[in-house]
Amino acid sequence: MRPMDSERINLAPAKDLALHRELSANLVGFGRLLRRRGAHPGPGEFCDALSALERIDLKDSREFYLALRTTLAKSREEQEIFDRHFDSYWQVWDRALESNRAATQERMEESDGGRDRRQSGRPASVTISDWLKGNGSAKEEREVAGYSPVEVVTSRDFSSFGTTEIDEMGRLVVALSKILATRLSRRYRHSHRRGSLDLCRTLRLNLPRGGDLLDLSFRRRKRQKLKLVLLCDMSKSMDLYGRFLIQFIYSFQNVYRRLETFVFSTSLHRITSTLKSGDLPEVLLALSSEVPDWSGGTRIGASLHDFLTRHGTDMVDRNTVVLILSDGWDTGEIDLLEDSMRGIQKRCRCLVWLNPLMGHPGYQPSCRGMQAALPFIDIFAPAHNLASLRQLAHRLGKIQGRIGFPRSTRRMGPAAATDRADAPIPEAAAAQKTAFERFGISR
Amino acid sequence: MSDRDIALIQEMLDEQDYIADRGLAMAVFLAKSLHKPLMIEGPAGVGKTEIAKVMACALGADLIRLQCYEGLDASTALYEWNYQRQLLYLKLEENSEKTTEEKEASIFGDSFLLKRPLLQAITHHKPPVLLIDELDRADEEFESFLLEVLGEWQITIPEIGTIRALHLPYVVITSNRTRELSDAVRRRCFYLWIDYPSFEKEVAIVRAKVPHIDVNLAEQICRFMELIRGQKLDKTPGIAETLDWAKALVALHQNHLDPGMIKDTLGIVFKDWHDLSMVQESLADFLEGLGIHAKAAPARTGEKNAPDGF
Repeated sequence: MRPMDSERINLAPAKDLALHRELSANLVGFGRLLRRRGAHPGPGEFCDALSALERIDLKDSREFYLALRTTLAKSREEQEIFDRHFDSYWQVWDRALESNRAATQERMEESDGGRDRRQSGRPASVTISDWLKGNGSAKEEREVAGYSPVEVVTSRDFSSFGTTEIDEMGRLVVALSKILATRLSRRYRHSHRRGSLDLCRTLRLNLPRGGDLLDLSFRRRKRQKLKLVLLCDMSKSMDLYGRFLIQFIYSFQNVYRRLETFVFSTSLHRITSTLKSGDLPEVLLALSSEVPDWSGGTRIGASLHDFLTRHGTDMVDRNTVVLILSDGWDTGEIDLLEDSMRGIQKRCRCLVWLNPLMGHPGYQPSCRGMQAALPFIDIFAPAHNLASLRQLAHRLGKIQGRIGFPRSTRRMGPAAATDRADAPIPEAAAAQKTAFERFGISR
Repeated sequence: MSDRDIALIQEMLDEQDYIADRGLAMAVFLAKSLHKPLMIEGPAGVGKTEIAKVMACALGADLIRLQCYEGLDASTALYEWNYQRQLLYLKLEENSEKTTEEKEASIFGDSFLLKRPLLQAITHHKPPVLLIDELDRADEEFESFLLEVLGEWQITIPEIGTIRALHLPYVVITSNRTRELSDAVRRRCFYLWIDYPSFEKEVAIVRAKVPHIDVNLAEQICRFMELIRGQKLDKTPGIAETLDWAKALVALHQNHLDPGMIKDTLGIVFKDWHDLSMVQESLADFLEGLGIHAKAAPARTGEKNAPDGF
């Protein structure tokens, strides 16, 4: 084994070689491209990348690729971004180098031939920056060309939401987030009077006295906030409630820190950071350019499945409440909806479905999507006005402080399997019936 | 020279029967030579923890393991005073001539200090491999605490003072992605994603880890796993399951897959009731895809060691 001393991190790499200077400039260019595409390599990563490149065989393109990827991409998502842009970026570099080499050769052939080699590298970086500027913006324009953001916003007419309503909404959202903010943690914190005796602390406190226990120390459970994932249906059928919902998720995102927000109609979009980016009008503008299928058709199943596969593992755990806001009108595969609902419910602490249609007297969750989803919902509630939100706050209050959410029926056993069959089977119907009863729906 | 280094790493991994692709070898090589922590993510059972063990063997270093769980805190990860022993010592010394200061000095000595993994790692006599396993299970408080240690490589104990690392450990952090780890931790690490292996790689792994396995059986098993992983499952089986299954079938003296035997041993591969029943229902279709037909079933009861079942 090599001794450690020779392996100190070199924080000031690549001072002496012209090639390195070129390379580091190109690397920074590549980093800027990655940052614009959603990855976040910083100066520290570039230092690592450069030191890594010193230790590998630069002629081996596979090694070059792997070394950069190991040092620059810090998550699965960033690796994907890296892979998407690596080839196009460095190919330009390669091609530029090649054409330069050819050009230099020509020049050398026709004239005296003894030119400074360093100059030959220069047009390469120009090519790259041109490419970045030209190509990058052209691409973005192409991406936007499919729809008009302005039209979407005006047709939504969010601005007409009354100020009193906004205030009330704000208060409600704060109340909701307070309710969600209380969960007992497995961690203890020091406490003066209450809770159980903290033996370690007590002994420690009394050590200076020779071990006689005079001062007592206590500990109690810390409170921990619940995480929240909001999945909001923005399809055509939800248009009526869109104004209200967008206001709701906007206020919620800005009050509750541990919240991830997604919207979907035919596909899923994560809008957490957009919601945080500024005032409501700005956010709306940004949203309309980010979500191309606003007011489109509904594929709840596919969207939920997409959520589960992409973010299921890292965003949903036993401390997460998943809120789905939708009317359940699904034009996609019902099987997929059922599977995704099962998957989400299994992971999360509590699955809440807010259905605006439930506000109508005599509403029956009879559409296929709702039918399929119902057995997996822990709390099924209306969300069409402020009163319904108030009610929701009350119901969510009931899960406060508990480590696990009590599930009234186990869905892992044989009954769940028979649910999957196409024909309605007694067990499935029974499960559905209990679900109906649970939510106080008369058939 | 550098080329040889990576080849060397690959060779070392090979020697430990760890089949690694070039991306993995590169990550291990860079983590070792630039001395940065290596963060490994991937689905369960693809050999994340194994890398740390293999690294320790290959480098001839000791492995120090910190298993994370919810509520893990400094006293279990770093150090704790042995209170009972301190008390006992004080009782014993009660009638001695020592002054209070002397007593205090002696009870905060090394022999009363319980070293937990992180402190062990930085005070070890030669650079160890420090495995921080399943960091995603620990809570965010612990993550930020870990940052301090990973950044400074020193630990301050109020009664003793600051302990600086004698040798920097090689750090391997694994995560199953049950929650997103913070960017700050990611920043400090090199990142490696391990996915389910390709068919060829899995066959190589099975043959390396289960030495007496029939080549034919190994290929059939891996083909089956490849097919299964394409399905929508709640818990997709990893390499660990493949190996368990292969070992079980070898122990049962099988040299090929047959439907009856598969049915009997499916519990090794699928750890979820829902998955199990789904696979059992459509087993015939899967086997069709593999070219194994039900007619092989009588072969099991009749002649057990039929060389070719399909």
